[in-house]
Amino acid sequence: MSIFEYNGSALVAMVGKNCFAIASDRRLGVQLQTVATDFQRVFKIHDRLYIGLSGLATDAQTMYQKLVFRHKLYQLREERDMKPQTFASLVSALLYEKRFGPFFCQPVIAGLGDNDEPFICTMDCLGAKELAKDFVVSGTASESLYGACESMYKPDMEPEELFETISQALLSSVDRDCLSGWGGYVLLVYAALLTPTEVQEKILKGRMD
Amino acid sequence: MLLLLFRLSFLSFFPSLSLSQHFAPTGTKPHQRISVSLNFKQRKQREEKRRMMMKLDTSGLESFSAAVPSAMAAAEDQLFAPPSFDLPAGCADFDKFQMEAKQTLKHAKGTTTLAFIFNQGVIVAADSRASMGGYISSQSVKKIIEINPYMLGTMAGGAADCQFWHRNLGIKCRLHELANKRRISVTGASKLLANILYSYRGMGLSIGTMIAGWDEKGPGLYYVDSEGGRLKGNRFSVGSGSPYAYGVLDNGYRPDMTVDEAHELARRAIYHATFRDGASGGVVSVYHVGPNGWKKLSGDDVSELHYKYYPVQPTPVEHEMVDAPPA
Repeated sequence: MSIFEYNGSALVAMVGKNCFAIASDRRLGVQLQTVATDFQRVFKIHDRLYIGLSGLATDAQTMYQKLVFRHKLYQLREERDMKPQTFASLVSALLYEKRFGPFFCQPVIAGLGDNDEPFICTMDCLGAKELAKDFVVSGTASESLYGACESMYKPDMEPEELFETISQALLSSVDRDCLSGWGGYVLLVYAALLTPTEVQEKILKGRMD
Repeated sequence: MLLLLFRLSFLSFFPSLSLSQHFAPTGTKPHQRISVSLNFKQRKQREEKRRMMMKLDTSGLESFSAAVPSAMAAAEDQLFAPPSFDLPAGCADFDKFQMEAKQTLKHAKGTTTLAFIFNQGVIVAADSRASMGGYISSQSVKKIIEINPYMLGTMAGGAADCQFWHRNLGIKCRLHELANKRRISVTGASKLLANILYSYRGMGLSIGTMIAGWDEKGPGLYYVDSEGGRLKGNRFSVGSGSPYAYGVLDNGYRPDMTVDEAHELARRAIYHATFRDGASGGVVSVYHVGPNGWKKLSGDDVSELHYKYYPVQPTPVEHEMVDAPPA
């Protein structure tokens, strides 16, 4: 098994109408053995920007700590939060710094940019950005996720429908992967007209095998 | 890699362990070997061993159609003649090629099966997941094979291997019944299978099976594998999830359980294995073999069992991983 399949992971992010959702599985394993069923893979950078990190769990945690550090410095200097596009470039640069000894993680970035425009992108472990308008996937279950998202996705979905779609896509894909699953975690962010952005976090009841 | 090659040729000095002898085709150029001088007796032993090892028990592969005796004899001669074929192109080291080919076909025994004997008979249980590396190819594989109405076999390892050889064993058991006018014992059946598997030893079959049944001597349970091992015992669990199943099984086992208690123990053991092991899952099937033959007790989806044993609490905190507090 390759190093990317050591811990096992599944991540997906989808774009809806003025909203986005990012979802992950909750398993942490050591090859075939399951060690934890509440592992956090999606992290908050600021209120309107989230990053999910798949691949080797230790690299995911370290990457997250480095990114939080860099973002806090940015906040101190610029006195504002980073835009998602800028943050994506930052992640890409940090990953390419380690070109000949990389971090074994694949990030999925999701955020709300200017004018509440949702932004999602994914990268490989060396920082090659892939921007998408509909959905991005990452992890050991990525092939199943591509298929599920491709068939279930519709453009301009309302938040409730987007939540349903992303949950179903995630659960059906991890049911075809030995190394991910054991529950799901979905985070839905939408820019409402009057109130500031609303965030919904839900834990999915999935197959525990 | 170099080290491995050297060890291979080193091993060829000892009569019992040579892979290359097993597969050396006739009529082709012999591959490079470090030469050594053996005395006459050792050379003779090597020749004999080689001739013995060439004779495989291919009775499993015979077709049972009625054929003209002379044609059958001619066919048999062809079956027992050592195989002769050209080496694949670009293959300088045939031994290494063989080893690599076997490695690619080697399926890690991703499954959990268990069986145990208690006062009321034998309980046999298994999960139903088939996996290829990380991909789940099926969640509904029948891993408990019904050899005949009073004997069961479990499947672990290569699915095709297990299915074929269990069916073959069923044929042999039926032939034994017809020839001897009495049912074959579990001891006999497991010995038949073990001998066949031993003759294919080293050729890449992957089978880890348990033969469970009830014969004149009472309940019987044997573990048979493709390395040629055959063990008699009271409790076995086979597969990648077996350590987890053993933990639950060994803890709850008592010889004087009722059938219901044994059923629940087997189901719980497989459930725990599917929870912890990534390569096990799907549906738990539990069978009971009694004096009148086997009976399927249940087939429960493992996920439903999880929420039955551990219903969702409002705010569970299982393990919390917290960072070190900032200085």
